[in-house]
Amino acid sequence: MVDPLRTTLWLYRGAFLGLAALLLFLKLLPLGSLAGDWPGPDILLCLIFAWVVRRPDYLPLLLIAAVVLLEDLILMRPPGLWCALVVLATEFIRSRAALTRELGFVTEWLLVAGIMVALLLAYRLAFAIAFLPQPGFGFALLQTLWSVLCYPLVVAASRFAFDLRKPATGEVDAYGRRL
Amino acid sequence: MAKSRSTAPEDYARPLRRLFVGLLVLLLLGLFLLWRIDSPRVERFRAALVDRVVPSFDWALLPVTKAAAMIDEFQSYASLYEQNQELRRELQQMKAWREAALQLEQKNARLLDLNQVRLDPKLTHVTGVVLADSGSPFRQSVLLNVGARDGIRDGWATMDGIGLVGRVSGVGERTSRVILLTDSNSRIPVTVQPSGQKALLAGDNSSLPPLEFLDDADLVRPGDRVVTSGDGGMLPAGLLVGQVAMGTDRRLRVVLSADYERLEFLRVLRSHELQPITDPGALIAPPPAPPEPEAETGEGSQPTADPAAEGGTGDVTEGSPGVESGDG
Repeated sequence: MVDPLRTTLWLYRGAFLGLAALLLFLKLLPLGSLAGDWPGPDILLCLIFAWVVRRPDYLPLLLIAAVVLLEDLILMRPPGLWCALVVLATEFIRSRAALTRELGFVTEWLLVAGIMVALLLAYRLAFAIAFLPQPGFGFALLQTLWSVLCYPLVVAASRFAFDLRKPATGEVDAYGRRL
Repeated sequence: MAKSRSTAPEDYARPLRRLFVGLLVLLLLGLFLLWRIDSPRVERFRAALVDRVVPSFDWALLPVTKAAAMIDEFQSYASLYEQNQELRRELQQMKAWREAALQLEQKNARLLDLNQVRLDPKLTHVTGVVLADSGSPFRQSVLLNVGARDGIRDGWATMDGIGLVGRVSGVGERTSRVILLTDSNSRIPVTVQPSGQKALLAGDNSSLPPLEFLDDADLVRPGDRVVTSGDGGMLPAGLLVGQVAMGTDRRLRVVLSADYERLEFLRVLRSHELQPITDPGALIAPPPAPPEPEAETGEGSQPTADPAAEGGTGDVTEGSPGVESGDG
């Protein structure tokens, strides 16, 4: 006897891991990304935010930390810094789950965009404090803007492909507690 | 009743969770600090991790890359006719050049023979396939499928067929990472060819890296050849890097000879162990046994070092005795 609710939980976690691995794989493909090309969006970040806003219980803290830390290490970023910032951002959203549940999509989008810009600023501040060389501000901001623009697409894709939405009132979790 | 039961575990779970999150974030920031302070250790760990993870993608990386390349090629079929015409014209020009090159090659061989120059036999290469690139728009590097088990070492130069591509930085057991010349961490000592000006080629994450610390920029003109200078003993001297060009920001930049759009097979040049020269006398002769306090100036030690110096240069460079025997 397997509890169906708990199975869905683990299915979603597995799906997230698979998506993260796929995104990492696509980034690693040696398909002539030239120096000076315009940076694309950080889809993994959009995915994490979209899922945490909708169902915080699907993405436990350690899963996010492990995935982002792996990405840090493989994509030659300073290890740990971006991961710590993403963990803090998801905790920020998670602790406001009751609030975000009531929000309409536009407000949620604004909230996420604000968090993404704050992440960028904090990341660059940490780079400056540690005297690390960093790319130009406009160049880095472009990536954040792309991510903000891509967020609705990621949300829509999650909604239609994975049926991910905010819990309706009266839904219960695996322990029978109200969500 | 139900409410009190459901909130009861949360009462202590919440501060615990906050503590846990705080600890995790501290741990991650600690990792960042550790990396900032003791970078080689963490980078070794990173190389080992990449070495484990990326080759396991290998079965998928190659076919997908090939498929994407095929789609690219397919699109270029449309312009096949014009391309063919253009190639014919170019071929015509190339034939003339080929004739010139053959003559020059024969002349060069004759001159080398006259001088009895021995080319460096230790400069062999290992060829690797590009497995993956850095995956980030802000870092320019590629991962090769050769590593420590193939004898790759940190710091070796990497070329494609024509020009310098970058330098090995980070070697795993089966993979090694090449920092491209366009990466913002790349600094290569170069010489600009006809004028012999030394400069530093500093990558800045653009496709045309600028020349820095140029002594006299007036002597350097767009179109000049840029080769490695071998200063600092990092890279062999004389590897082709590219041509000087004037950037839109009026800085002298280098158009790289290597084809960065299709880095597929790269050669890692097996540089010999370069002996670091620590003090000026050690290269010419063994250090004099009795250290004389009054002979510490250059003039005092010169006469004793000179006869040994002539014997020494014969060992170091094969050029001078060859010329003498040719004369005699």
